[in-house]
Amino acid sequence: MLQFDILIVGAGGAGLYAALETSKRKGLSVAVLSKVYPTRSHTGAAQGGINAALGNVAPDSPEKHAYDTVKGSDFLADQDAVELMCEMAPKIIREMEHMGLPFSRLKDGRIAQRPFGGASFPRTCYAADKTGHVMLQTLYEQCLKNGVKFLNEWFLLSVVHNGDRVSGVVAMDLRTGGVHGIRAKAVILATGGHARVYWNRTSNALGNTGDGTAAVLRAGLPLKDMEFVQFHPTGLRRTGILVTEGARGEGGYLINNKGERFMKKYAPEKMELAPRDMVSRAIETEIMEGRGFRDDEGNEFVYLDLRHLGRKKILERLPQIRELAIDFEGVDPIEEPIPVRPTAHYSMGGIDADKLGRTPIKGLYAAGECACISVHGANRLGGNSLLDIVVFGKLSGEDAINYVSEIGFAPFDESEVKKEEERIDSLFSSDGKEKLVDLRSELSDVMSYGAGIFREEKKMKEALEKVREIKERAKHVKVYDGERTFNTNLQQTLEFLNLVEIAETIVLPALERKESRGAHYRTDYPKRDDENFLKHSVVERGEDGELRLSWKPVVITKYQPEERKY
Amino acid sequence: MEKREVLFRIKRFNPKKDEKPYFQEYKLTVPKGMTVLEALQQIKDTQDPTLAFRAFCRSAICGSCAVKVNGFPKLACKTQIFNELDKFGTDTLTLEPLDNMEIIRDLIVDWDKPFKRMEEMKPWLVPDPEVVPKTLDEESRVYPNELKKFDSFTDCILCTSCFSSCTATQIDENYGGPFQLARVYRFAVDPRDALKAERSKIGYAFDMWNCVRCNKCADVCPKHISPVDGIMKLRGLSIDVGLKDNPGARHVMAFYKSLLESGMLNEVLLPLRTKGIKGVLENLPVGIKMILKGKAHSPVMKPIAEHETLIKVMKAAMEVE
Repeated sequence: MLQFDILIVGAGGAGLYAALETSKRKGLSVAVLSKVYPTRSHTGAAQGGINAALGNVAPDSPEKHAYDTVKGSDFLADQDAVELMCEMAPKIIREMEHMGLPFSRLKDGRIAQRPFGGASFPRTCYAADKTGHVMLQTLYEQCLKNGVKFLNEWFLLSVVHNGDRVSGVVAMDLRTGGVHGIRAKAVILATGGHARVYWNRTSNALGNTGDGTAAVLRAGLPLKDMEFVQFHPTGLRRTGILVTEGARGEGGYLINNKGERFMKKYAPEKMELAPRDMVSRAIETEIMEGRGFRDDEGNEFVYLDLRHLGRKKILERLPQIRELAIDFEGVDPIEEPIPVRPTAHYSMGGIDADKLGRTPIKGLYAAGECACISVHGANRLGGNSLLDIVVFGKLSGEDAINYVSEIGFAPFDESEVKKEEERIDSLFSSDGKEKLVDLRSELSDVMSYGAGIFREEKKMKEALEKVREIKERAKHVKVYDGERTFNTNLQQTLEFLNLVEIAETIVLPALERKESRGAHYRTDYPKRDDENFLKHSVVERGEDGELRLSWKPVVITKYQPEERKY
Repeated sequence: MEKREVLFRIKRFNPKKDEKPYFQEYKLTVPKGMTVLEALQQIKDTQDPTLAFRAFCRSAICGSCAVKVNGFPKLACKTQIFNELDKFGTDTLTLEPLDNMEIIRDLIVDWDKPFKRMEEMKPWLVPDPEVVPKTLDEESRVYPNELKKFDSFTDCILCTSCFSSCTATQIDENYGGPFQLARVYRFAVDPRDALKAERSKIGYAFDMWNCVRCNKCADVCPKHISPVDGIMKLRGLSIDVGLKDNPGARHVMAFYKSLLESGMLNEVLLPLRTKGIKGVLENLPVGIKMILKGKAHSPVMKPIAEHETLIKVMKAAMEVE
């Protein structure tokens, strides 16, 4: 059996930073397991930037950063974790800069910063509109330098523990199709988000299917704040592909069919740079009230207008956005406005973890988008996710080093491997009465209807019922490809099964949270209710297979809840 | 909305079962705006679940989905089918795996070789203590004009399209490869790097002089990078650090010398200056033929008119570089 002191699952920013941290300690065996080659991970798609109070453009401080983050979270974030993250931000930015990350620069050679939504100052460090991409490349280069071992194109099947300590994982080598147990003293899950639940309209990669989150749920461990899913205001009309908030940070306008900058009605001060939840609701409201546009295919949208920024600025600061608009919408933003609509983007909720990434099981960590620490609360600010992943990747790596140096391997129950083999075998021999493609699309429609940007009791109840029905029907999905080598039919089926499990954990707490907070907006309870709901929801699956919901207090240090105005 | 009936010829191969790759045909009704990746997924969803290909971000940033479309490497996710059909004047699209790598299955190739090669070439910053601060309280200064020198090379998404179409890679097992050598150059001109121009020695060890400048790497790059440009500049750096005693460097210097002397290329002296007597002997049969046909010029050439101006232009260009 493969065996490592520390196994990191996922090779995005969080996984690679954890790997880098652990690789500095000599004598430890560490490996990174990823279902894609490391530089393919979805961190690379983050465009606009990473927040840190460097104060290079305007005076700033980690306290102001923390306040903006807490306010942006609609006061649901744990403030001790937020303070830690914002405090560490300037140093970790410089650490990556010292590794060679090609940040865009000011004339005097210092790191440039741009304004972003919900921030009081230009605080977002960037590399044009490819910040996540260069971050991923830089971290990967440094991992190669430190000789990190990679298990590329391996798929996580389950997390194995004994109720107290983690013993490792079961995973499939996609190249051979072989199912293997991997023993580890510590496992750091950095498997990314799950917005692919909204399959038909999302900015996420095809593989952002919450594999780690679902494995944790199956392992009987808690997920937190799952009802909070961020819809990014500006996804491309047809595909939902992301147009960075940096486009508005650089001065882009949102325009309705009356030619108005409609954000003046919703956030008169911050306008287009209000937090994402507010801007997304504003766009949807404009469309619902007939002030949007409609194309021949029936797609509804508003315009993101960059033309007044001028050719030079667009080419210099937003070159990738320009190309995406040309390739996927046939629109050159220098000449025409870009048709956009909100798109499912980010999972605020995830694996319940503390501020060092620790879960209730010793040696099992979660970092990055798959984790809910929680630093984003009910709504994440743009530029805080790249920060979150590196900070908590680093911290969980550090803590894992300490943990494994004092402890041996926990026994690994080999029957867990057999169990996963059987689960896979059953997919080959299912009756095939249901089709993967149809169910996946149905799930997406149900989730957009019941747990989308606007929510209400009746629709959520219908959605919950429907999701449970889809879960039952999913037992009849069949894998038709009988080969084991790179069986993408099998992989897509396993990913879909993860999405179905996660969908239920989003709707259940959404139904019970009878208030509106951040990205969770209920038309039947449009106000925030701190008296009853200033708390985290926790969902776990009981022995009987049913989901159980409980609540957990929010950590408040110095920022008392107040009304959120922009 | 406009729709077209398109025939997809897709190369299939399962090394476990098939002796050699073969083409399988699929018909699909394609609406305007559909990408090659969307078509592949639709074929997989509705006609053939066994079809194997890679895809991830579907927004041209992860580099997973590069395949050959009618012979040219493309990112399937950003390639509009109608554009390709119109360009080739056809209703058929041929999809094949990338070249220069082993096929694992269907359109999926083995990336281990090109990425291992990159790893061998030390593609990471080695911080220069003169430039990179020792503490995390300070940033290193990189001025916008310095960033400009290597910024475009940091756009590389490792899709291996350039590697697939590289002529030198095809013939030289030891050749570094286009995206790999371009990354060596990227670090060589990063002011924070300690090795600086010395990195060109890595390029030298990995046969950078074997690049034939066919320019295919730049033509196929979906991120509009020109690896060949980086390789040429890396060669220049190698001459700067003293790697002059090799045919590649001598060849370049022979060109340079000949321009300084006359403003024209002295093809008679070129073999001698590049490879010495051995070069002359190698080229002798061709040389004799040329002399007999009256095609060879005298080894002594008169400077062209305005030769002085040319020299000024050359010097100015060197300074800009």
